[in-house]
Amino acid sequence: MALLSNAAVLVGKEVRTEFRSRELLSTTIVFVLVVVVVFSFTFDPTSSESRRFGPGLLWMAFLFAASLMLQPCFLREQTADTLTALRLAVEDPFAIFLAKIAANTLFLLLMELLMLPVFAALFNVSFAAQLPAILLTFFLGSLGISVVGTALAAISAQARMRELLLPLLLLPLLTPVLVVSTEVTIRLMQAEPYLEWRGIGLMAAFDAVFLTVLWLFGEYFLEE
Amino acid sequence: MLRRIVFAVVAIGLVACATYASFYVAPEERTMGAIQRIFYFHASTAWAGETTFFVCFVANLLYIWKRKPQYDWLGLACAEVGAACITVVLVTGPIWAKPVWGIWWTWDARLTSTFVLWILYICYLLLRTLLDEPERRALLSALFGVFAFIDVPIVFGAIRWWRTQHPAPVIMGGPGSGLDPVMKKVFFFNVLAMHVFAGFLIAERYYLEKTRHGVELLQREAEAR
Amino acid sequence: MKNLNSIFAAYMIGWGVFFLFFLSVVKRSADLRDEVERLKRSAFKEK
Repeated sequence: MALLSNAAVLVGKEVRTEFRSRELLSTTIVFVLVVVVVFSFTFDPTSSESRRFGPGLLWMAFLFAASLMLQPCFLREQTADTLTALRLAVEDPFAIFLAKIAANTLFLLLMELLMLPVFAALFNVSFAAQLPAILLTFFLGSLGISVVGTALAAISAQARMRELLLPLLLLPLLTPVLVVSTEVTIRLMQAEPYLEWRGIGLMAAFDAVFLTVLWLFGEYFLEE
Repeated sequence: MLRRIVFAVVAIGLVACATYASFYVAPEERTMGAIQRIFYFHASTAWAGETTFFVCFVANLLYIWKRKPQYDWLGLACAEVGAACITVVLVTGPIWAKPVWGIWWTWDARLTSTFVLWILYICYLLLRTLLDEPERRALLSALFGVFAFIDVPIVFGAIRWWRTQHPAPVIMGGPGSGLDPVMKKVFFFNVLAMHVFAGFLIAERYYLEKTRHGVELLQREAEAR
Repeated sequence: MKNLNSIFAAYMIGWGVFFLFFLSVVKRSADLRDEVERLKRSAFKEK
């Protein structure tokens, strides 16, 4: 299908662009680490407290990092003036969004997976037994963040105060992702871990709904 | 102009009657006493706010589809009036809750999603101030409005599920729950009155936006000359 | 009446919010009218 093959080509472009300099990824990873460390000063990191507050602070750190990481998503296109070229190259503007969402999800996942062992060590939680479930949770959460974040990045790129605007618009909209991912992650890191399937279902539903909305309205975000 | 005055008189009249009914027609509630009467104002404003946001959503969709500035003006008017309604709800709720339950606030599904709804519409209004070009402003804020409207039920669902994991006090049980028939009539009369009043505010705000648009055109003409 | 202060506060503050909103609409209308007057005067001067 033309849409998917176009998107696939564009994903390659996005990933190659980022890996040329790797500055976005490396800065984001360090930022997440800093946030986790600083947050940890706000409560007593004994084992039981860590299990209760840890996952919440982990996801908050991911959200903050994402809201900063998503900024260049469309700003890069603006400064290099490549958006018009992209729009001419593909029939369906949704391909551009799909590509950026896929790339952003990938970058977020990379950042989260690098952060996971560090978090486990700092807060004495084990996750090895639940690794596939944690991967699923991180994937669905990151996808949700990317879908809404990429759409809002397209909006904020055209506004003033965009550095502050994107986090401001993004965080309230992502409340469901934060609440549900945190809860699922808590269940996966507790003494008797298990995967909360209803939470997974809610996250998948969130992703599906907003992906559909973006599919319906995507072209209007990119109008000149 | 006459239409606007008539609308104002009808709206204020209805609201005055509804308030009178809330105090003198509705019977006193058994457990809470007189303070329960806040409910007529609080809940009816909440319903009016929700209707207003639905109209805002429809206006946003219509703008994205048709691109007529009138839909943008309507969306903006509804967002401002809706935000005012929810402000009233968020203020009157805790004033009722404190004497009755001893707490100002609880993070249950309804209160939390109302708070997030309020924040989202403040964001919508803020976004508009940060976009300068009128057509771009109308389109992008309409798109954000669509996202916001679709998000709110999901927020409610997510927090309600979360609350099954961490139960907390639920304040202000649903309006229909075990209401005396006279109370129900007074409540629905209040709902009608608040809808008409919100409609009046929306009409005034719409008229202001229409005028502002005209003045902007005049300004541009003057600058061109 | 039990809790009379609370009901009074709720109604006052609640209607206060609506009243302040309406006032802001009225003020913005007045500013617009001033702007129209200014434009009319400058157009008249040009003639």
